[in-house]
Amino acid sequence: MPKPPAIPAAAWWLARRCVGWCLAALSACLAIALPALAADDQIVVIDRAVSVQHIVEPGPVRLPDDWAVTRPRFEGSVWYRTGFDRPTGVDSHELMALYIERICSNAEVYLNGHRIFSGGRMGEPVTRNCHYPQLITLPAALLQERGNTLDVHLQGHALTRVASRQRAGGLSAIKVGPQALLADAYDDRLFWNVTAVQFANVALAVLGCVMVGMGWMNRREAYLGYFGWLCLAWGLLSARVWWRDMPWDTGVMEFLFCTGFAPLVALAVQFLLSYAGLRSRWIENALAAQWVLLPATLLLAGPGRLFLMASIWYAVLAAEVVAATGLHLVTTWRNKRQDFWAMAGLLSAILALLCVQLAMEYDAIPNPGVPLLQLAAPLLFIGMAVRLLQVFARALRAAEDGRENLEGRVHEITAEIERNFAQLAELRVEQVTEKERKRIAADLHDDLGAKLLTIVHTSESERISTLAREALEEMRLSVRGLTGKPMRLADALADWRAETVSRLGQANIEADWRGPTEEIEQLLPARGFVQTTRILREAVSNIIKHSGASHCKVRCAISDRQFGLTVQDNGKGIPMELDGKLDRGHGMSSMKNRAKQMQGQCLVESGPGYGTVIRLTVPL
Amino acid sequence: MTNILLLEDLPEIRSWLKVLVKGVFPDSQIHEAARVHDALELVSAVKFNLALCDLGLPDGSGVDVVAALRESQPECQSVVVTIHDDDDHLFPALQAGAFGYLLKEQARELIAEQLKRMSAGEPPLSPSIARRVISHFAAQTRPQERPQNMPHVALTDRENEVLLRVAKGYTLPEIGVQLNLSRHTIADYVKQIYRKLNVSSRAEAALEAQRLGLFRRS
Repeated sequence: MPKPPAIPAAAWWLARRCVGWCLAALSACLAIALPALAADDQIVVIDRAVSVQHIVEPGPVRLPDDWAVTRPRFEGSVWYRTGFDRPTGVDSHELMALYIERICSNAEVYLNGHRIFSGGRMGEPVTRNCHYPQLITLPAALLQERGNTLDVHLQGHALTRVASRQRAGGLSAIKVGPQALLADAYDDRLFWNVTAVQFANVALAVLGCVMVGMGWMNRREAYLGYFGWLCLAWGLLSARVWWRDMPWDTGVMEFLFCTGFAPLVALAVQFLLSYAGLRSRWIENALAAQWVLLPATLLLAGPGRLFLMASIWYAVLAAEVVAATGLHLVTTWRNKRQDFWAMAGLLSAILALLCVQLAMEYDAIPNPGVPLLQLAAPLLFIGMAVRLLQVFARALRAAEDGRENLEGRVHEITAEIERNFAQLAELRVEQVTEKERKRIAADLHDDLGAKLLTIVHTSESERISTLAREALEEMRLSVRGLTGKPMRLADALADWRAETVSRLGQANIEADWRGPTEEIEQLLPARGFVQTTRILREAVSNIIKHSGASHCKVRCAISDRQFGLTVQDNGKGIPMELDGKLDRGHGMSSMKNRAKQMQGQCLVESGPGYGTVIRLTVPL
Repeated sequence: MTNILLLEDLPEIRSWLKVLVKGVFPDSQIHEAARVHDALELVSAVKFNLALCDLGLPDGSGVDVVAALRESQPECQSVVVTIHDDDDHLFPALQAGAFGYLLKEQARELIAEQLKRMSAGEPPLSPSIARRVISHFAAQTRPQERPQNMPHVALTDRENEVLLRVAKGYTLPEIGVQLNLSRHTIADYVKQIYRKLNVSSRAEAALEAQRLGLFRRS
């Protein structure tokens, strides 16, 4: 598989940068946009009030009044009374409004004794408006030039009874000013606190479903499934930011949300481990036990110590995530170096975010009022998903390449099998042909051969028995030509020599055979061997029967293209016929015909008293 | 008293051969058989000095009779009498223990002459048969093809020399002249070659049978 080009690495660097820039820009926007309002002389900022808490004596408070600091154990409703004059810089026809940045959990507002706003249910389950800014239009009829009385009836929760500092009761400073002016600040705040988180939730839900689906389809890549469920769980937990009217009491809901962190962290740890290719039964069991232990400890501690227990658990869970991250990065560094930097960047960003959130919980740094974790984490999750998809796509491409490779191999092998099959079929045809030839040869021997043989040995006439013997020889040679394979020319020469020399020897004719002395590698087709054998046999028969010679010379000459046989005797030669042709009775024409069948040549030179020379030339 | 087995399925040829053999060996008793089965029965009953066997018979091949004779009567001389002159047919018979071969269609005098020579211990050897013998022993001497327990039958240098010259087309008398050996010595070499061919072929066959599991190793 080719190495992926360097572009993804650069893209990652860019993506990581983008996340950083987004966070910086976010903080900058908030820093610039919000305090700008305070500088305007059209807006009255109310930062003092008289509060009545239950039965306790009324007393002055400064706004914002953060219950986590001022009354951490108080649970219930507090009345705030304050007064204001209509801002002088505003035209009298201008529509006026009241902007409250934070009301937690819910409030009702009275102007000069008339209720002008209600955020929802004031009794349990109390509507949760903690992340919602409020913009309340002031009815012109009720608004006086001077000495307006403003009462805010706030229903809130004690810090000890909620799982997060952000949901402890509290009232921010109140701003009075032209509605158009305050609406901008309100819109801004609403977008970042609620709408952006909702967008992120929708995105995470979609992403989670896709990942879960992919994990479902690819069981071997379990980390895809873990990541999908992690996204979904995160989305569900983040819903508490914008989900106002819950079905149960605040205590129950806080308990449930806090409990939800156990599976969330379990999924995160499992994802990190399985993506690094690790698996441990022990860790899996511990995570499952934690899922039980966490709610159990919360129940044991009771609703009054929810914040304390939650803070301890947050630390434990964060430590688990840090440990899993460390393990993951170490393993990745060892096994999959190319994955390390992308994962290290993403994970450290998430860890940094977690640390910031924890610090806020412990009140180590001031709360910016924006759900930072809920906003930034989805971006990092999406980054992680992109990374996973990239890895997945790469694996898919590798698999595809492998498959193509395999297909190629299959094609090759199929072609080879077909080739082999064709060869086998050819071989089979050859075998069948060979078998048939052998059968014909056997039949000829058994039937024709036996009959000819009987004629040879039972005929009264010597002529007939000679003819039958010749016919038998012919038949055998034919059969040999029919079944024979090409033979080495050297072997053929040896056979011819042995036959010729022994026949001439038996006839008391001196034989002088000289062949080539060097090694002969050429092959002679079976037909060529048979025809040459016949020609040579005929020539020797003629010498023995008719020539009356006492001496016979045979010479062989072999070149690359042909071989030649010269048979010369010192006999009385072949008598001429009247028409000037050589005696047909000596079988000259059949010798010539046989030579012609081999594309060869047979020349006979003879004269009375000069002996006979037969020159045979056969191409190879 | 000489016992001669005559195995031939064609009646005319058999009687013709009988006359011929009677002419060569007037004192002999000739036992005739037309089938392998009959011949094998005779072999188990009678002790033969000479056996003339046809190859293609109605109920099998004369090679089986040659092999049976070699097994039970090693001193009997088997000669193949056949219409086939090609070594594909002759070589298995020689391996089975035949001591020579006669071609049936040859003239009476020629066959009688060859028969006399063979019984005098001068078997024929053609170039093509010689080549088959050479390649047979060449395959045996290749160590990777010869298992440990196989008796090693090797030709002597002189036997090899004779074989090589026959394979090149020289006749036995010519070789005798070339090597300055008597006609009898050359004939002895050829007999020895036939004997060794038979021994090594039998060892080979036994080994093959053992490999196929026909016999249990004792």
